[in-house]
Order: sequence, then C-alpha cells, then structure tokens
Amino acid sequence: MKQTNRKANLPLLLLAVVLIFLIVCPVGMIFAKAVMQNGRLDFSPAVQTLLNPENAHMIGNSLLLGVLVVLLSTLIAAPLAYLFSRTKFARYRVFDILFMIPFMTPPYIASMGWILFMQKKGLLQQLIPAAAGCEKIFFTLGGLVLVMSLHVFPFMLTMLKNAMLNIPSSLEEAGAVFGAGFSARMRKIFLPLLSGNYAIGALLVFVKTLSEYGTPSTLGKRIGFEVFTTEIHRHATVAPIDFGSSATLSSVLVGICLCMWMLQNYITTRKSYNLVSGKGARRVEQSMGKGATVAAWAYTVLVLLIAVGVPYFSVISTSLINLRGYGLAPGNFTIAHYVELFTENEKGLSALKNSVFLAVTSATICAVLGTLLVLAVRKSHSKLRKVVEAIGLLPEMLPGIVLVIGIMLFWNQIYNILPLYNTMGIMVLAYVVLFLPYTVQYVTSSFTQISDSLMAAGQVFGGSPVYILRRITLPLIRQGIATGWMMTFIIAFRELVTASLIAPPNTLVVSTFIVREFEQGSVSVGMAMAVLCVLFSTTALLILNTVIDHRKVH
Amino acid sequence: MRNYKISRRNFLAVAGTLTAAAALTACGGSASSTVASSTASSSVASDSTPAAASGTGKVTVYMPSPAGLADKLAEGFTAKTGIEVEQFQGTTGEILARLEAEAANPVADVVILASWSDGLSMKADDKLESYTPENADLIVDGWLDDDSVLFGYSASAVGVIYNTTVFSTLDADWKDLGNAEYKDQLAIPDPEKSGACKDFVAGYVVKNGWDDFQAMADNGMTVPGANKAALEAVTTGEVGILVAGVDYNAYSSKNKGEPLDIYYPAGGTIVNPRPAMILKTAPNMDNAKAFVDYLFSDEAQQLVANAYLLPGRTDIKCDKRSNLEDIPQITPDWDKMMAEASDDAAKINQICGASNG
Repeated sequence: MKQTNRKANLPLLLLAVVLIFLIVCPVGMIFAKAVMQNGRLDFSPAVQTLLNPENAHMIGNSLLLGVLVVLLSTLIAAPLAYLFSRTKFARYRVFDILFMIPFMTPPYIASMGWILFMQKKGLLQQLIPAAAGCEKIFFTLGGLVLVMSLHVFPFMLTMLKNAMLNIPSSLEEAGAVFGAGFSARMRKIFLPLLSGNYAIGALLVFVKTLSEYGTPSTLGKRIGFEVFTTEIHRHATVAPIDFGSSATLSSVLVGICLCMWMLQNYITTRKSYNLVSGKGARRVEQSMGKGATVAAWAYTVLVLLIAVGVPYFSVISTSLINLRGYGLAPGNFTIAHYVELFTENEKGLSALKNSVFLAVTSATICAVLGTLLVLAVRKSHSKLRKVVEAIGLLPEMLPGIVLVIGIMLFWNQIYNILPLYNTMGIMVLAYVVLFLPYTVQYVTSSFTQISDSLMAAGQVFGGSPVYILRRITLPLIRQGIATGWMMTFIIAFRELVTASLIAPPNTLVVSTFIVREFEQGSVSVGMAMAVLCVLFSTTALLILNTVIDHRKVH
Repeated sequence: MRNYKISRRNFLAVAGTLTAAAALTACGGSASSTVASSTASSSVASDSTPAAASGTGKVTVYMPSPAGLADKLAEGFTAKTGIEVEQFQGTTGEILARLEAEAANPVADVVILASWSDGLSMKADDKLESYTPENADLIVDGWLDDDSVLFGYSASAVGVIYNTTVFSTLDADWKDLGNAEYKDQLAIPDPEKSGACKDFVAGYVVKNGWDDFQAMADNGMTVPGANKAALEAVTTGEVGILVAGVDYNAYSSKNKGEPLDIYYPAGGTIVNPRPAMILKTAPNMDNAKAFVDYLFSDEAQQLVANAYLLPGRTDIKCDKRSNLEDIPQITPDWDKMMAEASDDAAKINQICGASNG
C-alpha cells in the first residue's frame, strides 16, 4: 500500500520541482527585493509600505469592484449559459465563439472603444445629439463595472455552460414528475448542482478583476477610481522604480485571493456532485414557447449588441476615419489605415506572426502541463497536493507585472547557466507561467463532475493506469482541456503587459504594435490592427470548432 | 457507448495537433518541460542568441517615442557603420523597469529617455559612462551636462494645444486658463506617465507656486492619460484645450490636417532635452560611442527636425515648427525640480482627481 502511495506521489514531486523552478523562484526573486536591504533581511520598509493608510482605501476599491463585477457578469452569463446548454439554442454553435469576442478584445481597446463612444462629443452624441449628457452616467463606477463585466463574462459563461451540459435531464424530469414547477426545479435541483462550478467561475472572475490593469488604468483613471493594481504598476514603472514595494503590495492581493480560493475550495468540495458516472445520461432540450423563444433571441442579441456592438462600432469607425477631429462626417472615411498596415513596413505582419506563434505554443504547453498537474494532484493523497495546486494558481493571483518582473530578475540571474533571456523562449515561458491557471481551473472544473467509480470500473476490468487515462479520464475531461486551450490562446494572443516588458529587442507582438501606434503613430492604424486581430482569432476559433464538430458527427 | 468512442478520437485529434505544435517550438518547449533535468540545458543554449556577448557587430538601444524617428535613426546608423541596432521601444517607465530587472545581466548599451530629469536620476545612480561626442561644440548650451554623461540630442517643449473647432484662436497665458470661459474644457497629460509634463509642472511650481494649477483643477481639468491619450481628448473634441501637451505630437497631427493648433504661453515653458546615455555596463562600449556620435551627425539631426523635435545642435534649424529661440522659456532649476517633481506629479493627479470625482 505504502509502495503504491509513493508511486502515485512521484509525478507530483516532479511537477512540484518544475513549478517551483518556473513560478516560485521568480516570485521569490521579486519578494526578496521587498525584504532584503543591502544584503540583509529587513522587514521595516515592507511594513511601512503596508501600513500606508491609502492602501486600505485602494484595497477597498478593488474588493468592491471585484464583487460588483462578479455579480453583474453572473447576471449576464447565467441566462445565456442555460439557453445555450439546455434549449434548442445549444444547436447554434457559432455563438460559442461570438460570445468569446469580448474576451478576445484587449481590455485597453474595449475601454477605449467605450470611452470614444460615450465621451462628450463622442460617437454616440454625434449619431444622436439628444444623448448629450450621457457621459455623466457612463463615467462613473457603474460604467467601469459594466465595461469590466462585459469583458470577463465569457469566463463565467463557459464555466457554467460546461457544467450545465453535464446535468442529466433525468434529474429535472424526476422533479417534474413530483410536481415541481420550472422555478422550483431551478431552485431545488438545477442551481444546487451547479454551485460547485459556479464557485470556480466566480473565483476566476473575481481574481481576474482584481489583477486587471488595462481597464482601471484607462477608464478607472478617468473617473478617479484608484485600485490596487494601478498602484502596484506605479511602483514598478514610475521613477524611482521600486520593485520591492510592488511585491509587498501584491502580497496583500495574493493573500486576499488565497482566502477566496480556500472559500471556493470549501464550497466546491462540499457541493460537488458526481454527475458523470457509469449510468447513461441524456440531455433533453427544454421546450420553449413562441414568447420564450422571442425573449431568448432578444436577450442574446441585446448582450451581443452591448458587449460586441458598442466597442466594435467605435473601433471600426475609428479605423476608417481619416481625420479624427472631424468625426463621423461624410467624406471623412478612408481605408488607408488598413493599406498602411501591410505596405508601410513589415512590422505589422511580423507582430501578427509573433503573436500567433506565442498563442499556439503557450496554449499547447499550458494544456499539457496544466492537465498533468490536475491529474497528479487528483491522484495523490499527500499533503503536497494542495501546495502544488496553489502554486499552479499563484500566477493568476499576482498582477501580471509582478510575476513578469520576477521572471526577468530570475532569468537574468541565471543567464550564465541558461541563456534564455532576450529570446522568444523567455516569452513563451512567461506566457506559460502566466496562463497555466486557466487550464488548471477548466480541467479541475470538469473533474468535479466525474465520478471516481468510472476509473474504478476501469481498474476492475484490468485496465492499466495508462489505458484508464487514455480511454476514460482524458475523454471525459476533453471539453475542459479544449476550453482551457482556447482561453489561453485568446489571452496570449492579445497579452500586453508581459510583452511590453519582456519582449526581446526588435520584437513586436500585436498588442505592443497597437499600443506603440496609439502612443506614437496613428490611433486609426492601431485600431485597424485591432480589427484584423479579432477577425483573425474569431475565424481561427470558428474553424477549430467546426473541425471538432465535424469529427463528432462522423 | 458510441458517444464515448467519438470523443476519444476527437481528443486524440486535438492532442495530436498540440503535440505537433509543441514539437515545433523547440526552445519554449524544452525550457518549460525539461528544466528539471540538467541535460536539457545545452540544447536550450544552442538555439538562443547570446545577448551578453561583446565585440559583435551590434548595439542595443532602449528608446522611447517617436517610433518613426527611432526606426530611421537605427536604419541610418546601420547604413553608415554596418553595426546592427537592436532596439527596445517602450515608455520611460517600461525602459526603467527593464533596466532594473536586467541589473544582474546588463543588455543595453545606449539608453535614451524622454526627459532630462529622468536622465539626471540615472546619473545620480552613477550608471553612466562619460564621453565627448563628435560635434560637441555645436550642442545647444546646457544640453550636454558638466560631466558629459547626458547627451541632449533632441528636445521637446510643452505648450497649449487646442482644438480649432472649439476655439478658433487662443493665446491665454497659463494663469488665465483658470478663468470661467475655459470651464470643463481643460485636460493635462498624466505627469506620472509623461516626463515632459512632469518636468514642466515642477519647473512652473518652483517658480510660481500652486495657485494656477489649483485654479485649472477647480475649472474641471481632467487627466485622460499619457501624452497621446491626452492629445486624443483634444483631437476628438471632448475637451478644447490640452495644458502642457508635448509639442511634437501636436505638430505632427496638425500637419496631417487635424483641427489642432499649438502655442507657447507668454509665461514661459520648460524646454526638455531628451538625453541619450551610455551605460557603464554596456556590453558593446565602442559601438555605443559610435551611436552617440551618429546622433549628433548632420543626418541624424535632420531626422530629428523632421520628426518635429528640436534639434540638439544650434546650427540645425527646423522649418515645420517653432525654433528654440522663438519659445518663451522658464529657466529650469533642475536640482530643485528634481527634488519635488515626483510629488508634484502625484499632486496634479490628486487635485484633478478630486475635482472630477
């Protein structure tokens, strides 16, 4: 017995070593900056930073924002998740991708789109002069919450939808047989079955909001709503540069996120229902009346209109406007900015190539590493497993900039042993480290619904561990891995903070290309690039989805 | 049962693609999956370029905006000397953060920053190599510091930029911008993200105190973001006036046909030389010096003027913007300004934020 235990722990130990090297060492490097002064351990500057009374205010703001965004994104996502998993809407697979567009849009682009649309003399007021004054409603905390929720609700949607797909209709039907109406079935059967997965989704959205920089630094700054992440960035990039303070402050964020994670764990373990077991499960489409169908369509279109329509109206019109100072006026349109992207120089194209390379590579490595991690963690019963899981999630809890600086410090320190710094390799590595948690979360979520009896059955019938993994476990968590891959692909394709610091000389990716154009060139050219990127990633994912569906049919 | 079989195939297809892609990307793949084993290190080393090798035909330059100028300078230098230029373009903050993170393994040879005070703080940290560039006698007085470590090869100034569809003409002095007629029409670049704006605020406050900025803040002045984001707010007509906007951005937009104009108020502005610096730790020291020489060549100085910046040499004039002698200046007291610049920048954000929020 002891023998098998040790055997099961071996892969876990190996993974722990890899993760410590990839994640803990860099994080340790930057935290050392916080507590080491001239080679000696000294906690007083760190304590001083932490005791700054302004912090409490900003942490309060961050938490408030996090909670509000979780609530609003739940409100947006929950009805959609139901529609697209339990009703005839589930057949329209194209929406899987369409609802991803807000997430494919870099946060700074989306908030710029919203600002251009809503601002005084903005696009909305040019179209409808009567809307004058709307900026007073938009440039508030409410507007910030709306923009951030519209960006992250796809997380919640995919998480809930995947979970809902696995709830067999028999459970609901049993409720119906016993006379429960729709709302009673929802309340007593459906929602309790989801709470474990919802906790994971809520945690993801909460943590993502807390560590988000793009929207708070553009829109939040406008309304004077300072959050913790902007403060952390300030210490790292405003002279005098002080990585130590950034690290100290982010330890507070990590603390908060760890507490949330433990709470989520508590909920998920108590509320896990093994819905996927040996029994056959089938899903019956919830029938919908005419009125319900119309309402459902109206809701779907409304969400898409607000989440995709508004920002992209701004982005596309900006990319086509010749002189920005004259706005939407006849004769003030041109496609020159798109032409410029391909003719001016090769930078745009090479940026696109770099981003595709980074997105595919890091998503793939993350999928492999993340799945291994979850498998090893679930197999083992040692105390180590929670630690390994926590390390795997750590990158998500830290603001990206802190981890990236940690990686840069660490890899420069060991440059003589492993000269990876200043190559594309370091970018792939940084992306893998940063985005590993997505795979971990998605695969974990799909695991919570799988009954151990399936693996046990495999064992009983003499299946070797590899066989069980290949024929039982992997097929069951396939959906989670695929979603994790897709999420990583999207986010890596558009990542900005990491790329703007760690990219080797002469290397641009699409996000840095766009920002350089915003800062030093033409906003319109930047927006043209943003449009092309979203078209590209949407098409790529649509094709991928079709290929997967096609295989399913045969 | 049927369903199960299909999903397996499906998974294998995905997994196959993934593995193939992973195999293609040798350096990233080996780095993350085999770091635990020491045997892999040699293969990693072989496909990465040694960034710290010296004596190779390259020079690594970290420089901020404008990108077009940076690219042309790099091109021109390579054409002239055959030395490859590796550039990292970023904001001042990104460049400083990168230098700090690379302290254990210095990569950069030459660093260019957008404000003189940022250069002075690099100098105070004793990171800079002293050198006398070619044509040093032609450099504008004060744009080469006493220790010859900061090379002001170009400069920008901040002025008042206004949207001509909102105000057909404008020549108000700084102190008049607090007047009621400009209520809710004012914006200022975030001085914590714009070195030029930060130095101006410090210079102005050292000379005149806080009254004028407070009046502008009370007049509803907003902070839309760094230089370009702030200029955006004026270009799109959200506000009519950009206080302390960087001039070269405005000249370039104006010459494209945007309804913008710029002037330098009579109260004076800070002309901010943009320092190039050679790092003591430069892996390619000779190439670094050659690059600084190039920055003061006729060709490079002409490129500077074409990018709407003030040239660093007295004998080069620009025809597309105000020349140095036409700009009313506040004589900068850099020591005093340095001492309070960061606090002043934070205070601008605070008083403008307070009036917005």
